[in-house]
Amino acid sequence: MAIKKLMMASAALILSVTAAKAEEKTLTISVYGFAQDAFKEHLYEPFEEKCGCELVVETGNSVERLAKIEANKENPVIDLAVISMRDALSAARNGLTDKIDNSKLANFDKLYDIAKDPNGDGMSIGYTFYASSIAYRSDKVTINSWADLLSDDLAGRVALPNVTTTQGPLTLYMLGKALGDEDPSLKTPIAKVGEKKDDIVTFYVRSSQLVQLMQQEEIWAAPIGRFAWAGFSKMDMPIKWATPKEGQSGGMNVMVLTKGSKNRDLALEFMDFWLSTDIQTALAENLVDSPANKDVVVSDEVADNLTYGAETVKNLHLIPSEVALDNRENWLSQWNNKVGQ
Amino acid sequence: MSNKLYAPIILLLVLAFLIGPFIIIIAASLSAGETLSFPPQGLSLRWVIKVFEVESFRASFGISMFLAIGGTIAALILGIPASYALSRYKVPGAETIRTIVSSPIIVPGIIVGLALLRYFVVPFNFGILFALFLAHTALILPYAVRVVSASLTNLRSDIEEAAVLLGCSRVGAFFRVVMPNIRGGILAAFILGFVTSFNQVPVSLFLSGPGVRTLPIDMLSYMEITYDPSVAALSALLAFMSLGIVFLAERFLGFSRYV
Amino acid sequence: MFQNRAEAFALVLPAAIFAGAIFLVPVVILLSEGFRSGDSWTIQAYIDFFAQPLNQAVFLRTLKLAAMVTAASAVIGYAAAFAIVNLPPKGKGRITGLVVLPLMISPVARTYAWIVILGRTGIVNEALVAVGLSDEPIRFLFTETAVFIGLLQLFLPLMIISLISALENMPRDAVPAARVLGANWLQVFTKVILPLTKEGLVIGGTLVFTGSMTAYITPAILGGSKVLMLETLLYQRVTMANDFVSASVIALILIVMAFAANLLLKRLATARNKR
Repeated sequence: MAIKKLMMASAALILSVTAAKAEEKTLTISVYGFAQDAFKEHLYEPFEEKCGCELVVETGNSVERLAKIEANKENPVIDLAVISMRDALSAARNGLTDKIDNSKLANFDKLYDIAKDPNGDGMSIGYTFYASSIAYRSDKVTINSWADLLSDDLAGRVALPNVTTTQGPLTLYMLGKALGDEDPSLKTPIAKVGEKKDDIVTFYVRSSQLVQLMQQEEIWAAPIGRFAWAGFSKMDMPIKWATPKEGQSGGMNVMVLTKGSKNRDLALEFMDFWLSTDIQTALAENLVDSPANKDVVVSDEVADNLTYGAETVKNLHLIPSEVALDNRENWLSQWNNKVGQ
Repeated sequence: MSNKLYAPIILLLVLAFLIGPFIIIIAASLSAGETLSFPPQGLSLRWVIKVFEVESFRASFGISMFLAIGGTIAALILGIPASYALSRYKVPGAETIRTIVSSPIIVPGIIVGLALLRYFVVPFNFGILFALFLAHTALILPYAVRVVSASLTNLRSDIEEAAVLLGCSRVGAFFRVVMPNIRGGILAAFILGFVTSFNQVPVSLFLSGPGVRTLPIDMLSYMEITYDPSVAALSALLAFMSLGIVFLAERFLGFSRYV
Repeated sequence: MFQNRAEAFALVLPAAIFAGAIFLVPVVILLSEGFRSGDSWTIQAYIDFFAQPLNQAVFLRTLKLAAMVTAASAVIGYAAAFAIVNLPPKGKGRITGLVVLPLMISPVARTYAWIVILGRTGIVNEALVAVGLSDEPIRFLFTETAVFIGLLQLFLPLMIISLISALENMPRDAVPAARVLGANWLQVFTKVILPLTKEGLVIGGTLVFTGSMTAYITPAILGGSKVLMLETLLYQRVTMANDFVSASVIALILIVMAFAANLLLKRLATARNKR
């Protein structure tokens, strides 16, 4: 009896899932997993209404989704993917993406210049930026430089990003700058971190974990991306966003079209919709994504929580994709040898 | 005297170690604060309520339930006859078959996920949900075979031979004599299978796709950005739900004694 | 033992074919990539892997941690399973339920719970300081100890339930009989309990060892990326470098280690049996 019921329930579930997929016009997109409820309200649903189509959304982190696009390259499932700048270059080099016909994007000219074609191959368009700096307990320490991360005041009270994360190389690059060596091999900063590794509480993989560690007083400081700031700003501790003298680092996320995907026009329509001033403003006001569209105007309070404005964008120290990609293997092996042992 | 004290002390210590984290999770999910903490900073149901407000959790919960229950039943349907044959018949190459069937336990999940995606799902162009179902069934199968085998080995085979001698058919003997006696094993296999599937991360990571993903994958991606007590609340709710299923399974399997 | 081959195959083949086709074939193809170099076959990738001191260290650490977790869970597992089996039936069911309970909780959440417990202001440290065992909080988090504790909690239930079902199936009078005949508890354990429960120990031990070796989330979170293990390395190869050759090398090493552990446990259990 119970088995019969279960089987009927399962059959119903299979049917409902397949039925949902059978709708005529669908666009399949692949995005980062965060703030999906906000994206749904401010981006997906308005678009579905406008185009009369259905959006199917895959979420996950950049590298894992890219691995799936690679596996499915003969018969692409995803029409449009949102990944990091570096992974976009990697995808382009592996022949997984197509050139974007930006003549079909009415909002293209409204973008900041560096968002228009970040990798110089015409295969990606930036839709948001973020700054990366250091969140710290202002009642315990002061941070004026990236080198302060390794100061004696913070020994045993600081977390750094793992080199495998997007934030990892950014932090190391800024640390290198503070130590007077900007070489893309990151040799100096990795060696320095290796030397001090017992003073580092953890090399984090998920920045969301840091709020927990901050709350438990395990750490007083950690480098983070601005997108993770909201969690810290809500805490009832004196936590500040550092403005180190070497400047802030940062990154850009981009949209790409998978090679040979079927719904090209719809994908371009969606891309244009996402880049439009209205949508970028709505996402900015809800603190979801910082705008790449320079026509977006937001209040000071909102701007304060984002990476906003021509001046800010110009001053971000982005790591060029080729540098990040070509050195990745080398960074990882140095890191494993100096820090991971 | 010391023997009487031994059991409670050991059990208390072991349970404190095993259950401690669970108590922390429950306490944290009832916290009013923004992070996990023990003791909780004030009491509130806000995180429990939030779990039900996150839309994607609902869809992925349905898919995870389907995979865990459907996969476990499928694995038991394949696994019980196989275990029975392995323990009651002289099967040529029994050891090899045992190894093949139990191999999914031994291979790291990431490799299983990648291998299945690249050499099974993509070439044959399977639907996502169907591929996940097959993969989960394969992952649960070892538990079904091993645990059921263990209880069959310990069940003396002369009672079913006696049943056959007394005029019962082979199939009848299996359902009347063997099944009731191994239902503990089947229950254990069911629990292990359900739990394995429900908490499975690496295989589902690669096999899930647009619109179809399991709850743990959803939780992980939620936590990439937000780590608030709602994930603790969700885990606690799931634990209570799993307990309910175990309870039902026990009642259901308990009934089979009278079949 | 029944002799009918056709019947035996009819019962066993569906499972074997299913596991073979869905699971074994794809995995074997992937593993074979570790032996390929262009068109020829080679074990160069394995030689290269073990030539690196880092990989040797990671290999040994993985082996050590998995063995420690398995040994600890066997010792605690027997003690707990024995206590549970001797409870009255009602209590037995309830306690078994409590033992199984942690398995129902997402490993991710359990791992994070340890961050609360083992933290600087967590209950373990507060207890240590209060009792006077330590003057200041000890750093447990992001050390091998934390990974060990996390893995033990994750896999101990598997050992306990394997041993419970083995102990339950042991003839009820075996232990009292041995006691009456004058055996001490150590003899009872090695000569009576261990041989009669070896199946459970082998299953439990293999599950715990394999699980500890291939766990990804626990070492990643509780080890704070300082405690590199083979699985972490494997994940890095796949996600950071699309390097399926190294990934398949590490995977095969893990598989061989799991088989070796399984054989070793079987050997240990039967060796005792013969004595």
